[in-house]
Amino acid sequence: MNELLESLTRCVERGKVNSKSPYPPDLKGQDGADEFARKAIDAGIPPQEILSNGLIIGMQRVGERFRNKEIFVPDVLMAAKAMAAAMGHLKPFFQSDILKHKGTIVIGTVLGDLHDIGKKLVSMVIEGAGWEVVDLGTDVSPEKFLKAVDEHPGCVVGLSALLTTTMVNMESTVKHVKAKHPNVKVIIGGAPVTEEFALKIGADGYSSDPQGAVEFLNSRCTPN
Amino acid sequence: MPRAERVDGTEAKQTQDNRSLTSKQRFIAALTRQKADRLPVTTHHVMPYFLKKYMNGISNDEFFDLLGLDPIRWLSVFKPDKSAGEYFDPNHVPGYLEAQRVVSDNWRIEHEQVSDPRYETVRYKFITPKKTLTTILQSNDHTTWVSERLVKEKTDIDIIAEFATQPKCDVEEVNRQAAAYGERGMLRGFVNSFDVYGQPGCWQDASVLFGIEDLIMATFEDPEWVHVYLKIIFERKRTYIRSLEGARYDVLELGGGDASSTVISPEILDEFVAPYDAPLIDLAHSAGQRIVYHTCGGMMPFLERLAAMNPDAMETFTPSAMGGDMILAEAKRRIGEKVCMIGGFDQFHYFKDCTTEETRKAVRKCFDEAGRGGGYILCPSDHFFDADVELLKAFADEARRCAY
Ligand code: B12
Repeated sequence: MNELLESLTRCVERGKVNSKSPYPPDLKGQDGADEFARKAIDAGIPPQEILSNGLIIGMQRVGERFRNKEIFVPDVLMAAKAMAAAMGHLKPFFQSDILKHKGTIVIGTVLGDLHDIGKKLVSMVIEGAGWEVVDLGTDVSPEKFLKAVDEHPGCVVGLSALLTTTMVNMESTVKHVKAKHPNVKVIIGGAPVTEEFALKIGADGYSSDPQGAVEFLNSRCTPN
Repeated sequence: MPRAERVDGTEAKQTQDNRSLTSKQRFIAALTRQKADRLPVTTHHVMPYFLKKYMNGISNDEFFDLLGLDPIRWLSVFKPDKSAGEYFDPNHVPGYLEAQRVVSDNWRIEHEQVSDPRYETVRYKFITPKKTLTTILQSNDHTTWVSERLVKEKTDIDIIAEFATQPKCDVEEVNRQAAAYGERGMLRGFVNSFDVYGQPGCWQDASVLFGIEDLIMATFEDPEWVHVYLKIIFERKRTYIRSLEGARYDVLELGGGDASSTVISPEILDEFVAPYDAPLIDLAHSAGQRIVYHTCGGMMPFLERLAAMNPDAMETFTPSAMGGDMILAEAKRRIGEKVCMIGGFDQFHYFKDCTTEETRKAVRKCFDEAGRGGGYILCPSDHFFDADVELLKAFADEARRCAY
């Protein structure tokens, strides 16, 4: 593999954002994802290759290591920050349609629930897998989810809930969205949520971790 | 650090007669990792929402009596230092679990309602000679949360360092209430927390004021600042803990969910949590107090690290169904010799929508896994909002049958 792309992958894995970033200490002063992405573009590597063979591989490894409990939430947050720094350079290519997302997911934490971190983590890993993420934030009403689905035809919906008292709002959101858009796929997650609960409320998918969400999206929500 | 002699001598006299202990003796036996007459059984905070919705608004004390649980009373009473210009906040009516706030002319706290169609919304202003800091809390029927954090700029912590009051414990009042409560149950306090929506642990208090995610990122990007910030919070707690000498609390809470392994890494725990909370535990011990360290999320990867901070007890041992990762038997094996364990019960599945038999079975399972040998207090793994009273009764009754 191209050396620049390998470096990019490594920076995402290690959460090395840019040359100024003091983290990780052993890479202090060295280039980060930000610089390597720029260099890769300048070297003429096609943006799709930078995304697929650099960034997505890095984020996938992060997702897998998190699933295997080898790394923790802060490590994923840093990896996602490095990923975002590199993605900044790819943005113009998305805007000019040279690069295409695999699809769009509208995601949010349901009404009455302020827990943000899990949903954000899932969003970051999904974004790192080549999907466009529309993050509606926390405490999101069914109406707001529906409005976002109207605005993003063909999107998938992701719901997060951390409270047993707000899990019921997942059900009302699924009903509200599916009443108007029966074909929209909904994936749910959050610490107290289970596969069984997902089935009960008519959601299409459940995952206990970000990597599972990516697998669901890639296998069940892409046109081919 | 050696523990000071407790003023009430409970350490020495408990479990002399194991046949029938008072609830207080039962708790103390468990907290000192001994066998009581039977498994102590209680709850974490009893939410006002639950009492109102399911129990006709009865009081905390009535709740414990009615259900036959070993009672806990939460108490926090501050004392202003008049010589330092401190006084009780005349605008503050203490809410659930709150102490009367201590303010000064340089640290005044005002609040105002903010109009919001969805939630009751209140803005708090901390007025100091240099800057006014603000935070916003929102509430629904269930609970209250922070919707605008207090520390918005990194320099805001200097304002806290310079002007915040230094609340101390009103030992006389604690002891008056301890005497009145007597053998009924456990008198539980918490290490002083920030004035509005504060939390006992240094890391936890810091994360609520700054936002946990930003605090995590700051540990990578500006660790020196995080240390300065934690030190400011630490100092305030240190002053309070020193003032606890002679207070007859049974246990005080430290820590908080943001130190869970579901939120932070072992590296962050080692560098930013333990170096501040562990010395507070030592200090509390030298002031004759016991500490329960609270982490309401994942704990398994951190068990030994948390126990090494030397708390008397740890909670909440939240099972995965509730958002944690607890394997109770394994936890008992790994740290049961060192600390008392509190919690572990899955209130989500066994306080609601199940049979009393299932609840009883869940109680037995906890007892079998963590209760053998003592040093365990059965308790839901943090608070609960909705529960079937019959299941709560079965929970209490089955635990009372778990004899040693
Ligand atoms: C941090 C925290 C908070 C912070 C949140 C800050 C923030 N910016 O997010 C604050 C202080 C706001 C908070 C408030 C409250 N909290 Co809280 N909180 C936690 C804590 C400690 C960590 C949650 C967390 O971020 N975990 C880390 C993330 C990465 O994990 P996660 O969210 O589970 O996400 C993972 C998976 O679930 C999944 N996932 C998540 N979302 C999605 C979505 C999709 C689509 C998919 C596929 C997957 C997926 O992927 C993620 C990565 O693996 C937990 C305990 C715990 N679980 O550790 C309690 C906890 C969730 N809180 C709890 C409670 C009770 C509250 C309060 C009610 C407390 C109160 N004030 O009375 C309030 C509620 C406020 C409100 N209206 O929401 C309880 C919930 C109990 C229950 N099940 O009902 C918990 C479990 C603590 C406990 N043991 O009691 N809390």
